[in-house]
Amino acid sequence: MEIIVCVKHVPETAEADLVIDESRKRIKTEDLVFDINEWDEYALEEAVLLKEKYGGSVTVITIGPEDAEDTLRKCLAKGADKAIRVTDKAIEGSDGYAIAKILYNVVKDLRFDLILCGAQASDDGYAVVGVMLASLLGIPYATMVRKMEIGDGVAKVTRELEDGLEEIVEVKLPAVLTIQTGINKPRYASIMSIRRARQKEISVLDLKAVNLAEDEVGEKGSWVIVDELFVPVRKKKGEILSGDLDQVVSKIVEVMKERGVLK
Amino acid sequence: MTAKILEKEELMLIKKLDFNVCLQCGRCTSSCPIFPKTGLNARTLVRKSLYFVSPLTVHPPLDLSDVNKVWDCTTCNICVVRCPRDVKPMDIVVGLRSILIERGEVPPTIIDALENIYKFGNPFGLSRSKRVEWAKDLNVKRVSEGNKAGLLYFVGCVPSYESRAQEVARSIAITLNGLGIDFSILGEKENCCGNEVYSLGEKGLFEVLVEENTKLFQQYGVNKIITTSPHCFNALKNRYKLNDIEVQHYTQFFADLIDKNKLKFSKSIDKKIAFHDPCYLGRHNNVFDEPRRILENIPGVELVELRHSKSRSICCEGGGGRMWYDPPGEESRLAEDRVNEAVELGVDILAVACPFCLLTLEDALKKTGNEDKIQIKDVMEVVRECL
Amino acid sequence: MREILVLAEHRLGKLRDITFEMLTKGRQLALEAGATLSIALLGYGVESLAEELADYADEVLLIEEKRLENFNSEYYQQVLSHIILERKPEVIFLGHTSYGLELAPALAIKLNIPIVTDVIDVYFEDGKFMAIRDFYGGKLQAKVSLRKSTQYIATIRPGVFKAEKGKRRGNVNKLSPPDLTDITYKKFIELVKPPAEAVDISTADIVVAVGRGIGDAKNLHLIEELSNVLGGVVACSRPIVDMGWLPKERQVGISGKTVKPKLYLAVGISGQFYHVYGMMNSELIIAINKDPHAPIFNVADYGIVGDLFEILPRLTKKILEEKSAGASSQ
Repeated sequence: MEIIVCVKHVPETAEADLVIDESRKRIKTEDLVFDINEWDEYALEEAVLLKEKYGGSVTVITIGPEDAEDTLRKCLAKGADKAIRVTDKAIEGSDGYAIAKILYNVVKDLRFDLILCGAQASDDGYAVVGVMLASLLGIPYATMVRKMEIGDGVAKVTRELEDGLEEIVEVKLPAVLTIQTGINKPRYASIMSIRRARQKEISVLDLKAVNLAEDEVGEKGSWVIVDELFVPVRKKKGEILSGDLDQVVSKIVEVMKERGVLK
Repeated sequence: MTAKILEKEELMLIKKLDFNVCLQCGRCTSSCPIFPKTGLNARTLVRKSLYFVSPLTVHPPLDLSDVNKVWDCTTCNICVVRCPRDVKPMDIVVGLRSILIERGEVPPTIIDALENIYKFGNPFGLSRSKRVEWAKDLNVKRVSEGNKAGLLYFVGCVPSYESRAQEVARSIAITLNGLGIDFSILGEKENCCGNEVYSLGEKGLFEVLVEENTKLFQQYGVNKIITTSPHCFNALKNRYKLNDIEVQHYTQFFADLIDKNKLKFSKSIDKKIAFHDPCYLGRHNNVFDEPRRILENIPGVELVELRHSKSRSICCEGGGGRMWYDPPGEESRLAEDRVNEAVELGVDILAVACPFCLLTLEDALKKTGNEDKIQIKDVMEVVRECL
Repeated sequence: MREILVLAEHRLGKLRDITFEMLTKGRQLALEAGATLSIALLGYGVESLAEELADYADEVLLIEEKRLENFNSEYYQQVLSHIILERKPEVIFLGHTSYGLELAPALAIKLNIPIVTDVIDVYFEDGKFMAIRDFYGGKLQAKVSLRKSTQYIATIRPGVFKAEKGKRRGNVNKLSPPDLTDITYKKFIELVKPPAEAVDISTADIVVAVGRGIGDAKNLHLIEELSNVLGGVVACSRPIVDMGWLPKERQVGISGKTVKPKLYLAVGISGQFYHVYGMMNSELIIAINKDPHAPIFNVADYGIVGDLFEILPRLTKKILEEKSAGASSQ
């Protein structure tokens, strides 16, 4: 099976303090740690598992600056065979639509049975790239995949719905599937294996190489433009307690008592 | 997931270990504190590795998936101490772990800890900027460009970030300041020492940590290091190649000061105290007397010995990566046995000198419901109280 | 006349809440923009749902066909494209849901209509179509604008707008379905209901939920102890289920359960939207997290910023004391 995985190199923000830069459209990233987008990690693991089962090869593609190669090397260490990075100054400010256009231009001339993407990215959460890519390619797709079985020219997938429900859908290959977390247990990529992956080549392409004009990407090529990032105003007038733990705990227990939940 | 047979390079990871002299006597397994709990069998692991390394013409089929129990090992060193032939079964466990690491077949919680250490310099995945919060209201000097640091206090990940263990770091810093001893800390630049990374078999990551930390020591003119944790002590002393830098655990440093009459106590504490020997201070590095010397010199302290003391100390099950891994089905930790032993002896304080022991024993204290019977305190916390 | 078109979402014979939430926002936007509000309802045997929806909009477009019986993005796309090309609504709403996300981006590409997803608000400003959405898991938000167009698509985040009782009486317009091309490359096979469970967290009065902050499965006993003294049930956020530490039936959130207990204690949960959605209507929400910027504090009535490993044992103890004091005073 020839599988393509689209991966994104994103900042880890859960434990970090985020600072909006002067442009107000981006955050300052110098002090942030970057890693592969969590959903994409599951997508890559699924691709490598399929390769181990059916043979074939896995190609990973990312769009980003040079340090995005850390994510590509991690993928190569885990079992991807080829890596492609698309980079160009004009790409800055691209939304999901612009990204999908770039990926389309890279992928349309490649041979593939399956394209896997994470269901969404942890930084912007647009959750559109996979479906848009499939639409541009004119191939079937399914999103939020929690389980997949490859049959004869088809993929039978279990899609996650709400309220604990799931639905089973069958798509003909080649197809795009967007992957939900929890579908598998991603393996570890040791530092030595990542080092060894340096021997594998990463093709670097710019806009010219993928036949796109500057106004087809970046803000000019996007449908959604970020005007201004801001710290959310706390909607709820909740009370935040900190300080001496025993006092805080007593206060909370008082509140619980008042609300009648301590029976 | 992957092939059951070892690839050539994987073989090299264990081939260089010298264990051909193994008698298969079983002393390692019978003294292993984890064997009765999870079935981790050092002897069979050595035997299986022997089959990998010196293949016989007829041998049982080799299955690498059988070796998943290697993650249960706490690297307490009892098997190494007990082996009559110098085989070092613990090294074979680490060797097998490194094969699984290279294959990526690692329990998810251990993956998280290793990735966090690589990305953030600590296993918790917390921001580097918070590494010095423990010292925010203390007068603690950070290393700075152009100044020779001299004595470095290597704090360690757990005492830097974990709120209970931060008290130990504070006690050390306050005591050093009180004695007017000049010292510095690396602050946000400090990386995990990598002792557990080494024990988990992640050689590549360990090398990265050694390189980065060594560069820092050289850059800031460090000539002596004291550590909070015996794990950091073990790594820096035995596994890094720090030729011109003296490495001590804080108990050695302060025992030294007591011998020289430089550390005196003005208050007394009327308590019966037993010292719990940490594996990496005692069994690994033969440091038994210094912590006791410190405690004995504190006025009012009645120092007693637990039944399993010194090299027979019961491992708390925090080492070897076990802070981030629970063998499936394990019902209780050894730390609970240790707490019960201390309660039986009727001590007031069970004193520790390792942040892992501090956390696992306190956890065990709560689990066994003995919080009102004894207290767990680090030696340095007792020292600080009586300065 | 400008038109706002909302795609109704339904499953297992019932309209889903997101439909009414979108209609609340749709009505507001229609009023501001001087537009009409219509609803598209696609399905088979859903006439009663169309009647229900007539209370909420100016017009309900009902399209029924056997092939629309189960949601299939391809058939839905065919029908909606036809409607959109004919009526040219200026704004089209779909839910930011499993169905909505499966359909909206493809519709956008097919019809070349700018789309913005997972919005918590949309509005017109100086002729531009604007939206507000979360970034970085809710730690920040952004004001975004869409490229100037005659039409826009937005997927609306569930749980943001409040479903309001319908006031207006619109008419149900039964449209004949366009000639659908048979689809063989994507088939709906079946719906899978969750297995019968041991514990139903959605009926509990007190829920103690744990998130990634707990660090390790071995620490879950702290949560269990607290839950036991409170007489509640243990629930969790998604990562805990992904790691296999608790079964799926304990998961609170968009892809898990929605709960409305008297007390919801969120421990070590950051509060990202897909979790918050499942608990934000709880009567009393108390959150414990060491990060003062965690989004959970935006929905909590009371928040404790601190180390849960320090707080939980103290809290459990204090509650036990209170309860035994209460018992002994009787």
